[in-house]
Amino acid sequence: MVYFRLIIAAACPVLATAVLYLLSRKTALGRWSRTRSQLLYGLLLGGVSVFCSEFGVPAYGVIINVRDAAPLSAGLVFGAPAGILAGLIGGMERWFAVYWGAGTYTRLACSVSTILAGLLGAAIRKWMFDDKKPSWYYGFAVGLVMEVLHMLMIFFTNMSDVKQAFTFVKGCAPPMIVANAFSVMFCLLTVTLMGKERLRVDKEHKQLSQTFSRWLFAVVMAAFVITSLFTFILQNRVSISDNTALLWLNIEDVKADVGDASDENLLRLTRSVAQDIEKAGGVDNSLLYTISAKPGNDFSEINVVGEDGIIACSTNRDYVGFDMASGDQARDFLVLLEGEKTEYVQSYQPTSRNADTYMKYAGVALADGGFVQVGYDAARFRQDIDQEVVGATRNRHVGETGFIIICGDDSAKTVVSSPHGGEEEGESLSVTGLSLEGLEEGRRYEAEVYGVPSYLMYTVSEGYYIIAVEPVDEVLFFRDLSVYVTVFMEIIVFAVLFALVYLLIKKLVVENIHRINGTLAQITGGNLNVSVDVRTNEEFVSLSDDINSTVTTLKGYIAEAAARIDKELEIAKVIQSSTLPSVFPPYPDRTDFDIYATMDTAKEVGGDFYDFYLLDENRLAFLIADVSGKGITAAMFMMQAKSILKSCAEREGDVARILAAANDALCEGNDAEMFVTCWMGILNLATGELTFASAGHNPPVIRQGGETRFLEFRPGFVLGEIEHLNYRTGQLTLEPGDEIYLYTDGVTEATDAQLQLYGNDRLLAAMKSAEGLSAQEVCRLVKADVDRFAGDAPQFDDITMLHLRLLPRDKITVKPEMDSVERVLGFVEDTLRKAGTPEKILVKMNIVTDEIFSNIVRYSGAAQASVEVAVADGEARLIFTDDGRPYDPTQKPDPDTTAPAEEREIGGMGIFIVKKFMDRVDYLCRDGRNILTLTKRFDPPTP
Amino acid sequence: MTIEKTQNGTELTVKVAGRLETVTAPQLDAELKASLEGVTALVLDFSGLDYISSAGLRVLFAAQKTMNRQGSMVIRGANEDVKEVFEVTGSMEILTIE
Repeated sequence: MVYFRLIIAAACPVLATAVLYLLSRKTALGRWSRTRSQLLYGLLLGGVSVFCSEFGVPAYGVIINVRDAAPLSAGLVFGAPAGILAGLIGGMERWFAVYWGAGTYTRLACSVSTILAGLLGAAIRKWMFDDKKPSWYYGFAVGLVMEVLHMLMIFFTNMSDVKQAFTFVKGCAPPMIVANAFSVMFCLLTVTLMGKERLRVDKEHKQLSQTFSRWLFAVVMAAFVITSLFTFILQNRVSISDNTALLWLNIEDVKADVGDASDENLLRLTRSVAQDIEKAGGVDNSLLYTISAKPGNDFSEINVVGEDGIIACSTNRDYVGFDMASGDQARDFLVLLEGEKTEYVQSYQPTSRNADTYMKYAGVALADGGFVQVGYDAARFRQDIDQEVVGATRNRHVGETGFIIICGDDSAKTVVSSPHGGEEEGESLSVTGLSLEGLEEGRRYEAEVYGVPSYLMYTVSEGYYIIAVEPVDEVLFFRDLSVYVTVFMEIIVFAVLFALVYLLIKKLVVENIHRINGTLAQITGGNLNVSVDVRTNEEFVSLSDDINSTVTTLKGYIAEAAARIDKELEIAKVIQSSTLPSVFPPYPDRTDFDIYATMDTAKEVGGDFYDFYLLDENRLAFLIADVSGKGITAAMFMMQAKSILKSCAEREGDVARILAAANDALCEGNDAEMFVTCWMGILNLATGELTFASAGHNPPVIRQGGETRFLEFRPGFVLGEIEHLNYRTGQLTLEPGDEIYLYTDGVTEATDAQLQLYGNDRLLAAMKSAEGLSAQEVCRLVKADVDRFAGDAPQFDDITMLHLRLLPRDKITVKPEMDSVERVLGFVEDTLRKAGTPEKILVKMNIVTDEIFSNIVRYSGAAQASVEVAVADGEARLIFTDDGRPYDPTQKPDPDTTAPAEEREIGGMGIFIVKKFMDRVDYLCRDGRNILTLTKRFDPPTP
Repeated sequence: MTIEKTQNGTELTVKVAGRLETVTAPQLDAELKASLEGVTALVLDFSGLDYISSAGLRVLFAAQKTMNRQGSMVIRGANEDVKEVFEVTGSMEILTIE
């Protein structure tokens, strides 16, 4: 019943906690402000504490309660303020509860403990568990420690009477500790289960503090058990040996008292007998009988021993003639004959004559030699000193509550003296519940005396059994006290140590490690400019310094590596740019087209590239491409793509098939998962027919017949991603003077400081403004426009462009031979006629062309010759260039035009015609070339 | 250039049309060399000739030299452009232009 009620009381905080937790989770309570909710939790659990206090269970003379569980749970489960509030309510109520019947004995201890419980719960949650609910087993530990503290408080507040305090604690400690500890534990357990958390979180790695705690717990537990056991054994031994000594001391005392009383009595009688004998003047047996019969002489025997040590006369005739030297007991009396002693008393013991007869003798020397010996038999002896014995023992205490029992050595062991006095005297020893049967004299035994477990010891002296008795409880009081206090103190010390180590490790190690980890995370994140600075103790200072120096070294290496990479990138850039055609003009002898390309990489090496090559004399392949990504990998992929495209171009005739073949080749073994966009065109220079295809690349800008626009054409998929793709071929025809501008998205996606894109519109506008410029000038103009737009904004992508211009056909370059004369003449005539040259002039121009070019063919030995036609400002100009022998026709003397036909110099006639027909003839020899310029005004100068 | 020959006894009429210049001159030269045997009167009809260059003149001079030995040579129908060449080169003095 007692325990049932205790369980009910212990269940109250659990129930209250569970209900509050549920409410906070499922109802509007969860949305209350912290102050409000903490107030509510504190008030309600304070109330539960009061209830548990009033619902105490009387047992062992004390009230057992679970008052501390509610404030503890409030602090641990709901938060520090709730715990403190609940503790205050519980503690205050206990303080004032004395007015309605609560005990005053533990008033201070209980009030303070309850307030402490609230504080403890709050502190533990706040400082040890970072304001989180601890695991359930911590609940048990905290409950246990709190109650131990409570018990110690009871001790400390009642130090004036340790015995009563201990009795109190001994009674209530075990049930209160267990009840409170389990109550708190179940509070946490219930909440954990309701929160659907796992009871035991198995982590792969234990926390440092946990490992420490575990080892600390193991070591302290072992120390705790050993110390407790040692204390117990030691205290037990000490108690028992103290008890043994105490019992024996009392026995000895009583024995001595009894002996003294008995000796004194017998000596007094013996002295009076000796006086009587000496008064009589002579001695014989009858005198002895007479003396023996005197009132008060209640002894049993008188012997008179002569100087020879032989009994001369006696009240026992049989003894006359007995030689005192014949037995140990008798011989002791011979000291009286030696004259040193005049009196001698012997203890009650068997006689020399008969070992079965116990006698006590005393002897007094007689004035005229010899001595008189008086003896008691058992009955007489006891009769004589019982009163003395009772007086010496009845009020004697063994320890505090122990006592002495004396009984006779008769068969019934009649009680002579006992703590219960007269009512037991004369009764058998069995009234005390004690039997000495089988017990050895002088040894300590445990038995129940008057129903109380006690230690006892006895001895037999002067015909009495002297029994010393001390209750076990009294004997073991100090042992139990020591063990309890030791255990309690150790629990407190362990708890404090545990908490301290936990906090210290958290503070000194874990938090520092977290700080270092935080910094390391920054460092691994790439920020090498942070430094670790944990300087709380030497180890961390050393660690911090080590990390910092590692980072510094690392920084050095990285800088070194960066420098090396920079250098390598520089080299890569050189290699990369060396693979791109970079000598302009690439075909100086071609007069039919003008091509220029440029690449500005954002990083040292980029993924863009351009390329162009003549597939045969009249077919020019040109392309621009952009590899995904940047840096070395992009550059390497670019090299591969470039050479694949070229080899495909040499193999395949059609531009779409070139891209398809290149795509398949690039897909093969493209582990880097890179791709290329590409726009490729093949221009037939003879016909102006352009075929082109696009692999996901931006549309080029085309200028056709003076109109500038994007060449929109549905592009195919990028190269290098999916095999077996088909590309479509676009086709158009370019006329001389038409242009096409290829570019990568680095142009259109260049950004300014406001992150605006350069865009198609700006590009188109720039291209329009570049009309009539050479390919190189177009590229420069667009790049300059992009740079102006971007301003100081960094360049994010490679800027690559290629411009191809079909030159207007006003110049012809040929191998000077007869067969090319007609071509040259045709070219000059066509060009001049197109330019609107008057027919009259045209004929003259034809004639001079024929003259000059035929001369070059015949005489110059040139490998190449060209004629450029220019019509402007009302005049036509022909520029003949050849790489033959230097020859200045202007220096040739005019032929004699008056000579008869037979003598005419035919050779000089051509030059002469030229001079005559042209307005100006200019000769220039430059770079090993003859440059002859003929100028003819359309309107002849007015005379 | 086209060459049209008309033989009338020892009188040969050669009609030259187109251009007489470096490329075509050897053609006329060859034609005349092959035809002048026994010709006493050569008439060069230049009414269809566009123009003439020094290479053409050289052929004419060669023909004139031959005809000086065996008869006469007359150039007819030359246009302004051709005549200008003749004038400039002083050919009017050597050639007979009608």
